[in-house]
Amino acid sequence: MFRFRCRFLGFRFHASSRLLVVGGAISYRALFNWTTPPMFIGTLLVGPLLQVFFFVFLGRELGVADDRFHLVGNAVLAASASCVYGGTMAVANERRYGTLGAVLLSPRHRLPLWAGRALPYVLNGLFVSAFVLTTAALVLGLPVPAGALPGLGLVLLAAAGACSAFGLALGALGLRFRDVFLVSNVASSVLLLLTGAAVPRETLPEWMRVAGGLLPLTHAADAARGLTAGAGLDGHLLGAELAVGAGWGLLAVVLLAVFERGSRRRATLDVM
Amino acid sequence: MTRPTRVLRLIGVGVRTHVSYMSRSPIEITFAVLVPLVYATLAVYLFRAAGDPDRLLTASVGAGLMGIWGSVLFGSGGAVQNQRWLGTLETLVVAPTPLALVLLPITLATAVIGTYAMGATVLWGVLLFDVPLDFAHPLLFLVAVPVCVLALGMMGLLLAATFVLLRNANALANPLDTPVWLLSGLLVPVTVLPAWTHPISWALPTTWGARAVHAAASGGDVVPPLLTALALGAGYALAAVLVLGRVERRARAAATLALA
Repeated sequence: MFRFRCRFLGFRFHASSRLLVVGGAISYRALFNWTTPPMFIGTLLVGPLLQVFFFVFLGRELGVADDRFHLVGNAVLAASASCVYGGTMAVANERRYGTLGAVLLSPRHRLPLWAGRALPYVLNGLFVSAFVLTTAALVLGLPVPAGALPGLGLVLLAAAGACSAFGLALGALGLRFRDVFLVSNVASSVLLLLTGAAVPRETLPEWMRVAGGLLPLTHAADAARGLTAGAGLDGHLLGAELAVGAGWGLLAVVLLAVFERGSRRRATLDVM
Repeated sequence: MTRPTRVLRLIGVGVRTHVSYMSRSPIEITFAVLVPLVYATLAVYLFRAAGDPDRLLTASVGAGLMGIWGSVLFGSGGAVQNQRWLGTLETLVVAPTPLALVLLPITLATAVIGTYAMGATVLWGVLLFDVPLDFAHPLLFLVAVPVCVLALGMMGLLLAATFVLLRNANALANPLDTPVWLLSGLLVPVTVLPAWTHPISWALPTTWGARAVHAAASGGDVVPPLLTALALGAGYALAAVLVLGRVERRARAAATLALA
C-alpha cells in the first residue's frame, strides 16, 4: 500500500512537472507565434536599455541619485516588460484566441497549469534584466564586481518570479474584464514610480513607500544595488522579494479560481 | 471648391473623425492621460528631491510633451497597422485621394489626443503638487502647444510611412519612445548629452517644439524654435510623401500591401 502510494505520488509529481514545463513552453510558443526577433529585440531589449540611459542622464542633470542607482534600478525593472505583459497575455490571449475554454476543460490542477504559463516569462525577465544590466554597465563604464554575480542572479530570478506572479494576477482579471491590457499598462507605469527604480523611495510620501513595499521589484532593486556596490547579499531584502512574489502568486491562483467559477456560472468564458 | 480648400476640408474632417474615434477608446485615453500622469508625478518628485522647486512647471510640461510624443509614436505606428487589421488599407490606397493626405489626419489626430496629456499633467501638477501656473508667456504657450502638435503630427506622418513597410510596427515604435524624450530635451536639457548626439537632436522637430513650449512656460525665445519646428515638420511631411509614393508603388507591384 505504501509503495503504491509512493508510486502514485511519483506519477502525480512527474505529471505535474510535465504540465508545468512542457505545457508552459507550448503555451508560450503558441501565444507568441506572432512575435519575431526584431519585435523581441526592439521591445524587450533595446527599449528597456534606452530607458536606463534616459534615467541615468536625468539623474545626472538633477543630481538626486548616482548612475548606479538609476542603472541597477531600471535594469531590475526591465523584467517587468516581459513579466507583467507576459503574465497578462498568458491568460488574456487564451481568451482572445478562443482557446481558454479548451484549457479550462482540462481536469488538471490549476496551480501547475497557470504556474507553467508564468514560467517562460520568469526566464524571459531574467534574461532581459541580465542583458540590460550587463550592456548598460559596459556602456556607462560602471563595473559589476565578479563576486556579486551569483547573488545578482538569485536576486534577478526572485524579481522576475515575483513580477510574473504579479502579471498573472493582473492576467486573472482578464477572465472578468474585457480590456485587461489597460490595467497592465497602468500597472507597468506604476511599478516605475513606486518600486523606487527611477526615484529614490525616501523622497516619496509614506503611503507610496508602503505601496511600493508590497509590489514586486522594490526589494530586489535595493538588494541588487547593494550587491553591485560590493555590500554583499542582503538576505532580508531577498526574503522580502520572495515573500511579495509568493503573495502575488497566491492572489493570482485565488483570483483565477474565483473568476473561472464565475465565468462558468455566467457562461461568459469566451465572451469578449 | 478649389483644390487647397478640398485638401483643408479633407484634413479637417479626417482629424475630427479620428479624434472622436480615439477619444472613445479606453486604451488611447489610458495612454494619453493616465500614463503621462505617472510620469508627471515621477518628474515632480525627482525635481523636488533635487531641490529645484522653481522648475516644477517645467517637469509638468515636460511630462505632457512626453505624453504627446508617446501618442504620436504609437498612434502613427498603429495608424497603418489598424487599417491593415481592419482590412481598410487597400481601400484607402486605391482611393483617388493621395495616401499621404489620408494618413496625415490620422497622425495629426494622434498628436491632438496627445494634448490631453499636456492638459492632464499641468492640471495634475496644479491640483496635487501646488505647481504655480505662472507661465512666462501664457498666450505664446497657447500658440506653442498646437504648433508643436502640428509639427509632431507631420513627423508622425513620416513614421507612419515607414511603418507601412513593416509587418509589426511596434518592433520599431517601442524602443523609439525614450530616445526621443532624451534627444529632444523634453525633460532633460540636451546639453547634458554627449556632443555627438547634438546633431541628431537638432534634426528632430520634437527638440524645437519642446524648446518653444518650455520657453513659453519658463522664459526665453519662443518664436524662432517654433518656426524651426514647423519648418522641420514640413520637411518630414515632404519626405513622408516621397516615401509613401515609393512604398505604395512597391506594395502594389508585389501585391503585398496587406502582408507587408
